[in-house]
Amino acid sequence: MIRFGLVLAGLLLGTGIGLAEKAVDATFHGYVDSDICAHVMVGPITDKRIECSKNTAKDGSNPVVLRGTDGGVFEVKNPKAAKKTVGEFAKVTGKLKVKAGTIKVESVEPVERSAIPADEVATTLMEVRHYRRSGDPVYEQVRHTLAMMPYVSQFDFISFTMADDHVILTGWTVRVNNRKQAYRRVQEIEGVGKITNNLEVLPMGPNDMNIRAQASARLKRLLGRYFWGSGSTIKISVKNGDVILLGNVAREADSELANIQCNTIPGAFHVFNLLRVTPGMKN
Amino acid sequence: MSTIRNYSTRKVVWCLLSAVLVAVLVVACSQQPASTSSTTGSAPAAKRVPAGQDNSGFLTDYSNLDPHPTIEGALTYIHPDKLQGLRNYVAMIVDPVEVYVVSDGDPSSIPEESLSTLTGYFQYAITSAVADVFPIVDEPNPLALRLRSALVGVDVGEGAIGGELSDETAQPLARSINISDVIVEFELVDSESGEVIAAAVDNATLGSGAQVSATHFSRMERFEAAKSAFDEWAGRLRDFLDAAHEIEGGEDEERANESYQPYSG
Repeated sequence: MIRFGLVLAGLLLGTGIGLAEKAVDATFHGYVDSDICAHVMVGPITDKRIECSKNTAKDGSNPVVLRGTDGGVFEVKNPKAAKKTVGEFAKVTGKLKVKAGTIKVESVEPVERSAIPADEVATTLMEVRHYRRSGDPVYEQVRHTLAMMPYVSQFDFISFTMADDHVILTGWTVRVNNRKQAYRRVQEIEGVGKITNNLEVLPMGPNDMNIRAQASARLKRLLGRYFWGSGSTIKISVKNGDVILLGNVAREADSELANIQCNTIPGAFHVFNLLRVTPGMKN
Repeated sequence: MSTIRNYSTRKVVWCLLSAVLVAVLVVACSQQPASTSSTTGSAPAAKRVPAGQDNSGFLTDYSNLDPHPTIEGALTYIHPDKLQGLRNYVAMIVDPVEVYVVSDGDPSSIPEESLSTLTGYFQYAITSAVADVFPIVDEPNPLALRLRSALVGVDVGEGAIGGELSDETAQPLARSINISDVIVEFELVDSESGEVIAAAVDNATLGSGAQVSATHFSRMERFEAAKSAFDEWAGRLRDFLDAAHEIEGGEDEERANESYQPYSG
């Protein structure tokens, strides 16, 4: 009886009937990004960002829409409709599910950046001059707070950006607690106003878990100096078979070695190597 | 007009389906949260604490336990190698809870239903306490820990406790179970190699005066003491994990702070 009940409930929920979130019609200005760059390169839309969006989309990263009003990231449920516009500003119309973080796109009309009205929040979030940088006291406090989070492992990449007093959290984590804690801890910081939480909790399916285990073992063996007791400078995000390498290494050769090692892991579909080479870094 | 009719029909269908779903959920939720772990199967048979011994024998090794600096009454162990230790793991398999009756008790006197009522709730409590920091998985993996746990010192009551049960879905147990002197033992082992990564003996007897004598006891006020005890033991396990994950001062803190440089556009 219980099983039957649960199966029926699952079927009803699975077919979108019952308690599922209702999609709302929405039209907004935004930026069409790749899933990878929207979770990594948070902040203003610069040439570097556009290059990242286009390159990773070409390599298979799905399109997402970055809503200009709050920096929210929405997975596009019909990716073909948005694929050609990755790396462009656009006026997007579609059925939006805010809690689920998804949009079914009806139209994506590319627009010039200058076409976005100057008084729209979208303008604030896309322009460099609004962004706080390293050295700003509130920015530094947010950075330190996130750096000290206890449950962050080599599989958790948590990043943020700050436009005026608006903090946008982003990245990938394997622990639900990290998503909640990042929000709570940043919320307590004086000088922080609005927070948009784009931090995605990754699924723990057996294939992704095997890839994580192999990537971690290989990189620790060959690049052990980037790992220590409570953390690492190399981050390994694994999402549906894709491996995303993030963080800092001291040499280009280390970045290449990490890339090669992850590329030969059975079950891994694609490696996005976004490691930054920072000569002179401590390791 | 036809739009209005279509809308009304859709509304009726929507209401009916919602009603069915609510009914189904009520039925499903009225059951005891027994097996919430990925590990299915019935609870192992109860064992007896060996007479004249200081411990139950549940843990692999008791000799390496030390008093925990902040959790009063807990003896704990953590693997000393930081790279191979607790922080190396990101998921957990929760094994069925084991039960050890007092040394002069008779394990066979605990009916199976009583045993599963007791262990089912405790397993639910510990799974709830850890799942947001160690997602629960089914399969062994080098990144998954296996959590073994035992309720030690369970005593069997004389018989069922009389009186009406406030919850209609609950059934009285044939024998009540006394958890007054129960302590809890935990062990976290590598899910592939079985190597002990952390262990704890929680000597806090939180169930003083508490007993369980009905299924679904956690929903009834008269068994509140037992529910609170299980929840608190689970909470103390979480405290132990939280403390072990705190970034230590000095070099660890410095490296964590220096290495954290967010990407920007």
